[in-house]
Amino acid sequence: MRNFLLSLLCLLVTSATLTAQSRVSGNITGEDGVPLIGVNVLEAGTSNGTVTDFDGNYDLSVAEGASLEFSYTGYETQTIAIGSQTVIDMVMTEGVNLDEVVVTALGIERKKRALAYSVTELSGDEVATAKEINVGNSLAGKVAGVNVSNPSTGPGGSTRIVIRGNGNIAGNNQPLIVVDGVPINNDNLGSAGMWGGQDWGDGLSSLNSDDIENISILKGNTASALYGYRASNGVILVTTKTGKKGQGLQVEFNSNFLAETFQDNYDFQTEYGHGRNGAKPTTEEEAFAQGLYAWGAKLDGSSVMQFDGQSRPYSNAGSNLDRFYRTGSTWTNNVSLSGGGENVGYRFSMTNLDNQGIMQNSGLDRNTFSASVNGQSGKWLGSLSGTYVKENTKNRPGLSDSPGNANYTAWSLPPSININDLKGDPNKLGADPETGFELQFNDNVFVTNPWWATHQFARNNEKDRLYGNASLGYEFIEGLVLRGKVGIDRFTERRTSLEPYGTAFTNFGAINESNRTVQEVNLEATLRFNRDITETVGLDLIVGGNQQKNFDESLGGRGANFNVPFLHSIKNGANQSVNYGFSQYQVNSLFGQAEVSLMNSLYLTATVRQDWFSQLTDPSGRDSENSILYSSFGVAYDLSEGLGDALPDFVDFAKVRASWAEVGGATDPYQLGLTYGIRGQGHLGNPLGSINNNSVPAGSLVPSTSKELEFGVDLRMYKGRVGLDIAYYDRETVDGILSASISGTSGYGSKTVNVGKISNKGIEILLSLNPVRTSNFRWNLDINYARNNNKVVSLLTPEDDGEEIRLEESRTRNAYVHLVEGLPYSQVMGFAYVRDGSGNLTLDDNGLPVQGDLMAFGTGVHPNSLGINNKFNIGDLRVSFLIDIKTGGKIYNATNAYGMFRGLHKATLEGRESGIGAVAAENVEDYYQRIAFGISEEFIDDADFAKLREVVVGYAIPKRFLENVPVSGVTLSFAARNLFVLWKKTDNIDPESTYTSGNGQGLEMFGVPVTRTYGLNLNVKF
Amino acid sequence: MLLVLVALLALQTSCDDGFAEINTNPQAAIEINPNFQMTWVQLRTSGGRYENWRAGLIYSSMMIQHMSALCGYWTGDKYTYNGGYSSSLIDNGYREQVKDMQDLINTLQSGTQGDQTMLGMARIWRVVIFHRLTDMYGDVPYFEAGKGALEGIDFPAYDAQEVIYMDMLKELEEGIAQIGSGGFGGADLIYAGDADQWKRFGNSLMLRLAMRLSEVDPGTAQAWASKAIAGGVMNSNADDAFIQHTNGPEGINRNGIGEVLDKSNGFGDDCPRLSATLVGLLESTGDPRLNILGVPSANTGVIAGMPNGLDETTIQDNASGTSTDDFSRINPAIVLVESPMMFMTYAETELLLAEAAMRGWGASDAGSHFEAGLRAGVKMWEHYDASLAVDDATVDAFVAANPFDAANGMEQIGNQYWLATFLNEYEAYSNFRRTGYPDLTPVNYAGNVTNGQIPLRLAGNPGEGSLNPNFEAAKTRQGLGSDFSSHMSVPVWWDK
Repeated sequence: MRNFLLSLLCLLVTSATLTAQSRVSGNITGEDGVPLIGVNVLEAGTSNGTVTDFDGNYDLSVAEGASLEFSYTGYETQTIAIGSQTVIDMVMTEGVNLDEVVVTALGIERKKRALAYSVTELSGDEVATAKEINVGNSLAGKVAGVNVSNPSTGPGGSTRIVIRGNGNIAGNNQPLIVVDGVPINNDNLGSAGMWGGQDWGDGLSSLNSDDIENISILKGNTASALYGYRASNGVILVTTKTGKKGQGLQVEFNSNFLAETFQDNYDFQTEYGHGRNGAKPTTEEEAFAQGLYAWGAKLDGSSVMQFDGQSRPYSNAGSNLDRFYRTGSTWTNNVSLSGGGENVGYRFSMTNLDNQGIMQNSGLDRNTFSASVNGQSGKWLGSLSGTYVKENTKNRPGLSDSPGNANYTAWSLPPSININDLKGDPNKLGADPETGFELQFNDNVFVTNPWWATHQFARNNEKDRLYGNASLGYEFIEGLVLRGKVGIDRFTERRTSLEPYGTAFTNFGAINESNRTVQEVNLEATLRFNRDITETVGLDLIVGGNQQKNFDESLGGRGANFNVPFLHSIKNGANQSVNYGFSQYQVNSLFGQAEVSLMNSLYLTATVRQDWFSQLTDPSGRDSENSILYSSFGVAYDLSEGLGDALPDFVDFAKVRASWAEVGGATDPYQLGLTYGIRGQGHLGNPLGSINNNSVPAGSLVPSTSKELEFGVDLRMYKGRVGLDIAYYDRETVDGILSASISGTSGYGSKTVNVGKISNKGIEILLSLNPVRTSNFRWNLDINYARNNNKVVSLLTPEDDGEEIRLEESRTRNAYVHLVEGLPYSQVMGFAYVRDGSGNLTLDDNGLPVQGDLMAFGTGVHPNSLGINNKFNIGDLRVSFLIDIKTGGKIYNATNAYGMFRGLHKATLEGRESGIGAVAAENVEDYYQRIAFGISEEFIDDADFAKLREVVVGYAIPKRFLENVPVSGVTLSFAARNLFVLWKKTDNIDPESTYTSGNGQGLEMFGVPVTRTYGLNLNVKF
Repeated sequence: MLLVLVALLALQTSCDDGFAEINTNPQAAIEINPNFQMTWVQLRTSGGRYENWRAGLIYSSMMIQHMSALCGYWTGDKYTYNGGYSSSLIDNGYREQVKDMQDLINTLQSGTQGDQTMLGMARIWRVVIFHRLTDMYGDVPYFEAGKGALEGIDFPAYDAQEVIYMDMLKELEEGIAQIGSGGFGGADLIYAGDADQWKRFGNSLMLRLAMRLSEVDPGTAQAWASKAIAGGVMNSNADDAFIQHTNGPEGINRNGIGEVLDKSNGFGDDCPRLSATLVGLLESTGDPRLNILGVPSANTGVIAGMPNGLDETTIQDNASGTSTDDFSRINPAIVLVESPMMFMTYAETELLLAEAAMRGWGASDAGSHFEAGLRAGVKMWEHYDASLAVDDATVDAFVAANPFDAANGMEQIGNQYWLATFLNEYEAYSNFRRTGYPDLTPVNYAGNVTNGQIPLRLAGNPGEGSLNPNFEAAKTRQGLGSDFSSHMSVPVWWDK
């Protein structure tokens, strides 16, 4: 390590004083004479290069007699021999850049034309202007085959990204996240379930969009094959910004403000007030008992008793949601400094993000510091980069079930109750002014006063995270490089959860404090030989190894039933307990890749990787199969090069590709055997001992395996005006590791098994059009379409048909998410109505609908997606808007189920005066309540939607206005996300309202309302 | 650094050195002392707040009119259906009781740890768990239950209640026979390892199970009742089988009923009141338990029972009081988080003996057993709090005022059993269904699912019904419909 640091120091010191070279400078413009910014200028055959500045100027020292290579997206790449010139000006011609380079597995840059698989890149700008706190959400609608779900869980919440469909029966279906060549943790730190809870965020939520240079998405197995057991869900490679060699000092300031308002989907009835059986409550006791029911009389403005013994007008109180949710805001300020000498580049960046959520008293504060340096000295190449993130989240909102969930209550009040009347003590919101206890407004102690939930509860966490890497390489001969790399990702999460003293469902309160540390370290060594052997044969060989070590340790304390009132401290708890958790695992890997290029048109790639897992090693030392070999093969044929003139003239480029790969999935440690532990602190001096496992242990396991066949075509035509990339894939994932639900009467809720076969077949089409291309008006239209046909082929026992596995259950206890053989992933299950032959509802003796069988109503995961992205360049103005359309998914609308149970839903207006069939008017609530919690079919909606996902209007102030100020560029942008839902089929809720980012998608229940954000972005470069 | 890395990868003779150690959970044991596990199982059989609240109080105590409530979610008072409440005991019973119970029995049977006495006691305790489950839910998994890890049985078959009962009786007989020296000692929360008390408990339980069959299979009932009595049953309140709870250090230590009703412990569901039926019976016999089970109403200062089947609206037309606080709460002293949880008492045993004597099944002199049952039933509340002790003179007077009358013997016995099992609501509900005593008047609340009849069982979990393919056979066998709420109108096998 010391040597390494010395080398880097050496690089910094000596960077300006190396071999005598010639200096070349110049100016680069387009055909219209407008300077081109950011054109790559590279000394051919080396990594020595720079980019043009805002005025299109560059300046580079190169070896005498070298050639310069100019490349720029959307333009033809040109190479010029320097000769004796010191100034080379260039006019770039628009067209197809066939030498476009993309980042692939292990951070290796490869020419896109040579790839045998599909890779999509997004530039940092595409996620940095219209910001999302969780950068994962910014990918929605932009990449074919990448399905982003953003659960409605408040600031700092997690996101769910699934590439090419869910393949794993259980466990992780999200891609591996790699930052600058080093995997980082993207585990969900906790999400809500049927009994409520909060979304504690994920690993992606600590990425800072201002530091991202680009994002490369490896969708298929072949693309990610070098990641072996971590590859089966695809890989997202994030490359952060670095200083470029020879760049000169640049200071950049970016300020972004976004306002956030909730999208009002609420449309409950406003005609009948609180009460039951069609009557107004007459006593305080009655009003209190009926505080959550809108089965009262028709609102008539009369004075009617409420929960607190006061009578108020029996009339529509107006929108409680408007009163309760505020306008949120997010300020993001970034300042960065970057530069480089001849052999070294560096960058420092600081970002503050300050968010106030729409939920009262909730918000997030994130500070990111990042630094990187890279350099070269003779045959030594080195880089060092690190990012430190401190993230504070305050009051993560309660979701799903009612205890502590303010959304639940805000949505459930009868129209005659004003939520402001629940405020109680103005100095302690939600409290009874006399006792300081929760002000209850109904007889169900578990339905928490919303003000109490937001202002007296605490669900805070603070994350300190450090991730980064150091690498050092040595070039033995030209094209042969040995490189070693150390990567680390370590975070500590400090969490506080408080149910305060005086809470109705736990009068004396409880507090949990915990501290958790999660770490992953990777040591990687690679030897790469990359050289053209002859004019027509090129070779790129890599061999390497990786050692991955992870641990996760947590320590927590709990104090319940506070002795001293309102003193919320563990030590004040009458009942105190300690929790400790620890797990670790290690995976060792050897891998290799060979790529051969023939005649500059045929590219053959093969990879192999073997992984050894501690998780699969029997702890008793008994022989266990603990390693797996993975491989991949790919071929790409460049028709335009290979066939030459045989292709029509309008074809600029044409490639066909095919590949096959087998990769795997991960597993957790300690799953192999039954173990016992000590519970609590004993009873009357006797220790309590019991089985630890809630899931029947496996005995032995193998990681899941995924095999994928991919074909693709890449066409570019009409001088780059039309681009078409089509990919077809067929992937089969077997042996998922699952905690399969089994009968609770077995003693266990589930069983850990290697089971199943899931098939994902799909097509991805990316159509890029450039219909108008003039010097002051340019229109680009990118359309991406994806369809994924997912099918659960088999579950527990291959020979049995019709098997099902439960992934999630709704709090209403009559809707579920199942895996069902023969159907797509995440089936939303509900109890159907019983109907007679002609389709009429069958009623029981009392005239109530009858609950029928549990049936699958469709998948909770949208199989179809269409993203339409328009970009206009009008003079100095840039306008873009993205429409995101998804269809084919279902969602169980528990908000409507509760709305019907409580008489809030508009459908419950029918029959209030006249009754329904045999059900008298005053008993009509029995009819609807039977449906509400009995017949879930009623609440399973199509989750199809079209949304105006993103709008950006940017204006770059022309250079001529900046001549007398010390800035080199100013861009002001209007940015908005999720402005409008153009089309949806769910009433009262947004179709993207799940409360979890877990595998069981398709259940909604009282999440934070979906929001729209809009604001301004100012970027200044000095 | 490069050299280190290369060396690291190259020198690894095998690529999985040390992996067995890494995959050993440093926080878990691979076997457990049977004492620790028995204490755990007993404590979990007493149960948590979850099922005591739902299946115990909200359903059982309300359906048999021990208690009464206006609140809509106290569904048992009104015979309305809440699936999660109804299935709460079977939902928790297998995972929290049967799982470790079965594992412990397996360990003891294998002989790797423990002794035969432990095994005998464990087999008896297993019957405590299972008879409650089958009494409440009818046919349930029995032979294959709790064996997910032991035998890889993911979806246990449902066994007919008749078969379960026959096996439980056999288990009791064999279990009692295994008890000798050894045992769990102080880790046994019921008798601190006392072998004789365990045998008497086992025989008393056998008597309870035998009598359960009195209507459906009198011959078998008689045979097992005689065997139990001959074996020796409980002979004083010192034999009462209960677990003493404590207020912490954690929730698991607390009495599950106390966790619902004990307002001094940070929570308190204030819905339930003593039922008018209960207060009426206590008053009609001058029962000293009136002041033990209830406290005077907040509004009137006298003990008053609330009629069943009313809500906040209909109470306003009720003659005996128009608000919850016009009626008596359950005495806080018997529903504390540190209160004992009763499983079986000497009082019940004597009443079962009285009934056996009436039937001529291995016992004689119904009157003296009835009297002993009466005395024990009044005295048993001393277990809850010394201040609840009733002096002998009062007991004598009460007994004298309520002599046994053979003509109405069955009803007298049934009524007293119903009183003696207050707060042991599962047992009270089962014995009521068998005997039909007390003679309760059902309520007929709008929206009830039983056509205004007292439910005949609790409905199981629809989720389990759809998950476990073996449920279908049990459903057919018992004549259960597709709608789980309708199951509450179907009697269990022994209920004729």
